[in-house]
Amino acid sequence: MQEQRELQSRLEKKQMKDFMGVYSRLVQRCFDDCVNDFTSKSLLPKEEGCIMRCVDKYFKGTERLQTRFQELNAQMVQQGNALPGR
Amino acid sequence: MSFLFGQRPQPSSAEKIAAAEAEVEMVSDMFNRLSDSCHRKCVPADYREGELNKGESVCLDRCASKFFDVNIKVSEKMQSQAAAGGGAGGMGAMGGI
Repeated sequence: MQEQRELQSRLEKKQMKDFMGVYSRLVQRCFDDCVNDFTSKSLLPKEEGCIMRCVDKYFKGTERLQTRFQELNAQMVQQGNALPGR
Repeated sequence: MSFLFGQRPQPSSAEKIAAAEAEVEMVSDMFNRLSDSCHRKCVPADYREGELNKGESVCLDRCASKFFDVNIKVSEKMQSQAAAGGGAGGMGAMGGI
C-alpha cells in the first residue's frame, strides 16, 4: 500500500536520526563522566575502561527502560488514560 | 497502532501519514526524555562495573513508573485547568491532535 510504504520510509529516516542521537548522547555522557584528566593527550587505560563500562551500562539500562516503557504504555492505553495529544 | 487506520471519516493519505508519524514522534520523544532522566537519577557516574546492579535496576523500574504517573497527573491537572476556563497553559500548549 502506498501509504504504508511512505510511512515506512519516513520511519526508517527517523530511525537513522535516532541512532545518531543515541550515539552523540552516549559520547557526551561517557566523555563527561569518565574523562577528567588532561595531563595526557590520549585516553588513559582507566578512562578507556570507564568508557566501555559506561556504554555497557547505558545499553543495559536502556533495554530495561524500554521493556518497562512498553508495559506501562500498554497499561495506560488499556486504562484509557490518554495523554494530551493522543 | 492499528487503531490509527481504523474506521473514521476517511482522512486523506497525507493526513493519515502525518498522524501516524506524530504518534510515533510523541512516544519516542517521551521515551527519550524518560531514559535521560532515569539514567541521570539512577545510574551514578562512577562506572565500577558494566552491569546494572540490583539497586540501579530497581531504581530504573520505579523511575519509569513514576515518570508515567507524573505524565498522567500533569495531564489531568492541565485538562481540569482548561475545563475551568483557566486558559493559560491549557489547550493551547497541548498542540492537540
